[in-house]
Amino acid sequence: MKTLLKNAHIICPVQNFDALGYVGIDEGHIQASGLGNAKSEADYDKIIDCAGQYVAPGLVDMRVQSADPGFEHLESLETLLKAASASGVTSVVSLPDTNPVIDNRTVIDSLSLRASQIGGPRLYLYGALTQGQKGHQMAELGLMAEAGAVGFASGAHAIQDSLIMRRLMTYATMFDKPIIHHCEDYQLSDGGEMNEGETATRLGLIGIPAAAEIIMVQRDIELARLTKARYHVAHISTAGAIDAVRRAKAEGLDVTCDTAPPYALLNEHAVNGFNTAFRLNPPLRSEGDRLAVLQGLNDGTIDAIASDHAPVNRDDKAQPFGQASCGASGIETLFPNLMSLVANDNLSMMSAIRLASTAPARILGIGGGSLETGTAADVICFDATRAAIIDQSKFLSRSRISPFHGQPAQGHLSYSFVGGQLVHQAAN
Amino acid sequence: MPMTVSDKNTPPPAVHLPSQHLLGIEGMDVLTMHRLLDRASYFADNLSQEVAQTLKGQTIVNLFFENSTRTRVSFEVAAKKLGASVLNISVAGSSVKKGETLVDTATTLNAMHPDILVVRHHASGAPQLLSQHIDAAIINAGDGRHEHPTQALLDALTIKRRFGRIEGLRIAICGDITNSRVARSNLYLLGGLGAEVRFVSPSTLLPPAIGDMGVAVFHDMEEGIKDCDIVMMLRLQTERMEGRETPSQHEYFNLFGLNSEKLEAAAPKAMIMHPGPMNRGVEIDSEIADDHERSLIHKQVEMGVAIRMACLEALAVTAQQNGGGK
Repeated sequence: MKTLLKNAHIICPVQNFDALGYVGIDEGHIQASGLGNAKSEADYDKIIDCAGQYVAPGLVDMRVQSADPGFEHLESLETLLKAASASGVTSVVSLPDTNPVIDNRTVIDSLSLRASQIGGPRLYLYGALTQGQKGHQMAELGLMAEAGAVGFASGAHAIQDSLIMRRLMTYATMFDKPIIHHCEDYQLSDGGEMNEGETATRLGLIGIPAAAEIIMVQRDIELARLTKARYHVAHISTAGAIDAVRRAKAEGLDVTCDTAPPYALLNEHAVNGFNTAFRLNPPLRSEGDRLAVLQGLNDGTIDAIASDHAPVNRDDKAQPFGQASCGASGIETLFPNLMSLVANDNLSMMSAIRLASTAPARILGIGGGSLETGTAADVICFDATRAAIIDQSKFLSRSRISPFHGQPAQGHLSYSFVGGQLVHQAAN
Repeated sequence: MPMTVSDKNTPPPAVHLPSQHLLGIEGMDVLTMHRLLDRASYFADNLSQEVAQTLKGQTIVNLFFENSTRTRVSFEVAAKKLGASVLNISVAGSSVKKGETLVDTATTLNAMHPDILVVRHHASGAPQLLSQHIDAAIINAGDGRHEHPTQALLDALTIKRRFGRIEGLRIAICGDITNSRVARSNLYLLGGLGAEVRFVSPSTLLPPAIGDMGVAVFHDMEEGIKDCDIVMMLRLQTERMEGRETPSQHEYFNLFGLNSEKLEAAAPKAMIMHPGPMNRGVEIDSEIADDHERSLIHKQVEMGVAIRMACLEALAVTAQQNGGGK
């Protein structure tokens, strides 16, 4: 079956398309794409007139917690992939913090098989950096790479032992896969409840200094220099850490980073009122940090935006602020958050797609992120301006806690294709 | 040229060393290397006969701070074949355990006037330290991660007797390079004798500055041993397979263990070597370790005695010519 998406505003960061054009899909691949009109419409079995809506590569969400196996009451692979399909995410890259931890090839084989049976968005997996995510012993990185792990991640944990991190970086260079690190110095963040500052002082909450992130990022950059590793900072949130990455890039080190929408759209003031939906890790930072995140997104220091989806349930959040679980549902708000950033003139549409699709695909060396001829047809079609209110009760994810609940947002997804298969079509 | 110092009828002469001690291969001249190999080869051909009594009346002390039955016995047999009397001191029963320093031990031993001290120590440089405090000639039987000259020489002798040459051979040394004195000594010796030496190792078991030593490095076993004439496997200590240097024994064997499939990448008649003791199923599959068509591992042990005879004799001869000794 050959499908043509015509009369669409094509966004392709790889080909630098940002104008009206078309995309032709055949046998799961993009058969043709370009500006203007397709040469011959007669070749196609199905023609969709996009009426000026955007057509772009599907989102590649490089930081998603799946919770399956082990914590299916929070999220199962089925609910996660369903939520992704309805939200324009065509590739989900899942963290290894499951139970059992994804620290050997058997778990990877089994999850890959299950995902292929579920269908919908593609599932990619990170292997854990250390056995059981305990931070002490290297996991079987080589065998996991052979089984298809796209990178190695510490999940929600941070590797405190510098020697282990050095060895991991050295070892990972053999497989040409990035190390994805959550950067937090546990001594500095110990007992912390929110960002350190005036708000924390007023609320009587224990502060987590920005230095807890910055110190770890700086340590890792030194180790990346020493080991020539491919190193990626996950959900970067502080001005100081962004500066450190900027300097590392200027020096030519293979260092990249991503951030998540809360760090670009919210700050620590949201915690006023003790709403535990705003308890995240890293914590929501100062307005200065938020502006530094926007700056980093615009000047190329921050390579990618990921949802940082971290399933939690109501019980975990119905706690005093400091005792509530960190994290929030994110996969279904990634797309509306991106559209808000575009609508606010924080990002161009081209940058938004590059940050949430092309760049993460390139960092991980996986498909997607492009509308070039011959690439897999992971394509979304959307109206960028239709207004909406984010309503967590409508989430398809089993985790229905969002820091953006009740907030106005932009954008409406009309179609989503994965490998040429239509996985989502809007009701209206 | 030094390649043929002797023919079958005249035995090659005992070797005069440029230095009083044999502390390592680094810096050894190629002529000395060849002469030691030729003399040892002559001993190897005549192991069952009484060939020379060049150490008669001399006292050799085996001073082992680290256990090694294979090396100690090999030195002891070699010394006895040359007529020396041998004294074994192992650390377990020594005063080192009572807190004596290495230099104190040396001073005490010096008072007993041994002729040659065979030293095995877990610290790199320990034999050098001893050599500054003792009159006897010192032969390094393995110091930390530094050198193990007689192991390299016996490896070279094994290779030379099998292939008829060393020059031009392609030799892969595989495994834990960082912690291997055998790898370092062999790089100097086999490289010095004209072989192309490569290291194949996980990146975590390679010294960071290895690139400065002018040796080709590989992280993929099949790529690294491709077309090699010799595949020399090194022992991986079990404590290095517990997640600090490599994730597990399972992953190590899968990626870096030598089995018959990986060996197919090597030259058709490639031979396997291992300094012992082997971890079967970790760095080497039993199937090939025991394959007499492919494995030189037993030959290596046999050459050990001949090499140590040549080295002990050379130290004695050198001491005599220098007017030293007793």
